[in-house]
Amino acid sequence: MIRVQQAPFDTGEEQRRLLAGRTDIGAVVSFTGLVRDFNERPEVTALSLEHYPGMTEAALGEIVCGAEARWPLQGVRVIHRVGRLAPGDPIVLVVVASAHRRAAFEACDFIMDYLKTRAPFWKKEHSTTGDYWVAERESDYRDAGRWESDNDDTP
Amino acid sequence: MTLTHLNQRGEAHMVDVADKPESRREASASGYIQMKPETLALLSEGGLPKGDVLATARIAGIQAAKRTHELIPLCHALALSKVTVDFRLDEENSRVEVFASCRLNGRTGVEMEALTAVSVACLTLYDMCKAVDKDMEIGAIHLDTKQGGKSGDYQRQAHTSATPIVTGEGMAGQVSVGTRCDIDSACVRVKFLAELRERLGISELSLPLDSLPSADVGGLKAALVKRDARFAKLTEGRVLCAVNQVMALDPTPITNEDEVAFFPPVTGG
Repeated sequence: MIRVQQAPFDTGEEQRRLLAGRTDIGAVVSFTGLVRDFNERPEVTALSLEHYPGMTEAALGEIVCGAEARWPLQGVRVIHRVGRLAPGDPIVLVVVASAHRRAAFEACDFIMDYLKTRAPFWKKEHSTTGDYWVAERESDYRDAGRWESDNDDTP
Repeated sequence: MTLTHLNQRGEAHMVDVADKPESRREASASGYIQMKPETLALLSEGGLPKGDVLATARIAGIQAAKRTHELIPLCHALALSKVTVDFRLDEENSRVEVFASCRLNGRTGVEMEALTAVSVACLTLYDMCKAVDKDMEIGAIHLDTKQGGKSGDYQRQAHTSATPIVTGEGMAGQVSVGTRCDIDSACVRVKFLAELRERLGISELSLPLDSLPSADVGGLKAALVKRDARFAKLTEGRVLCAVNQVMALDPTPITNEDEVAFFPPVTGG
């Protein structure tokens, strides 16, 4: 299940819903991304997240399909917020359920790496010294590249 | 929001900047002087009685920037590190566009200097050309960008552009979807997202398909650049493209009613 929304989300509630009525799930891993109060500049006061409606949902769907093709997963939830957020606010949630922990850990990591490099979201940070658009990071591409190089080793 | 040049009693005063940290300050401003097409032709051919009009106006603009504090009562005297004044002869609209930018490392902004440079360059153009044209009109003198300082960076939105090509407004955090072509013939809908939208000052437009030299993304870029030089930004640096919301490259074909989006590298998560 994939959602793009302005409203905050409740990690516990989302995980409970994913697991409701299931007894075949042996492991659930969740990742929550938060707004930091420092990034390219200190004293970030707010963040505006923009996305490309339609393409965003399609890109996230493709990333989840990619994860499901690589690991035996029993449930995935991805929620990404848009609009104006304050430091400490949750931005993104990825919950992955599987029979075994390794698959759940790796699939969650994979989804976040691909989300950061392929899903059409853009962050604008508002700081005490002005507003600026966040620049892409080389390290994010290196992280996503890991999943391409060790393609053959993954079950 | 308060007026910094008024003290608590509402009297004009000069802001004490001694305790402000030094930082790199830059500002750019522009304006234009409208004239008869014959005057513009004389100016570009160098046939005006007072000689090289643009060179003179450029020097006048630079000199004016340096002396802004003598003209504007509460401005500080600044040791500018750079002043540029440039002109663009706009034959279509029969005007000379004037651009100025100023820079320094210091404690106060340089937007007044850039605006003064544009104003005085325009006045000098008037003086140099008035023998042949007294109807000239100076207009649209405004700040374009400002960087550095406590109040943060400023970029003027291009909605007041002389030839508006904006067909829709995008708010930060939102992009309108599903707009139909606003032209009758076969056309392509183009969107500009995030930072690219702000840099170009436009969120979307429609273009007749037959104005593309080739019916693909590369052809669309060429048609956009031909329409307005600022679209050259689409070919600089990392600009990504999607056709009908699927990632695309220059050879990706475009057909009638396609939605093409240009955007910077993604930064979500």
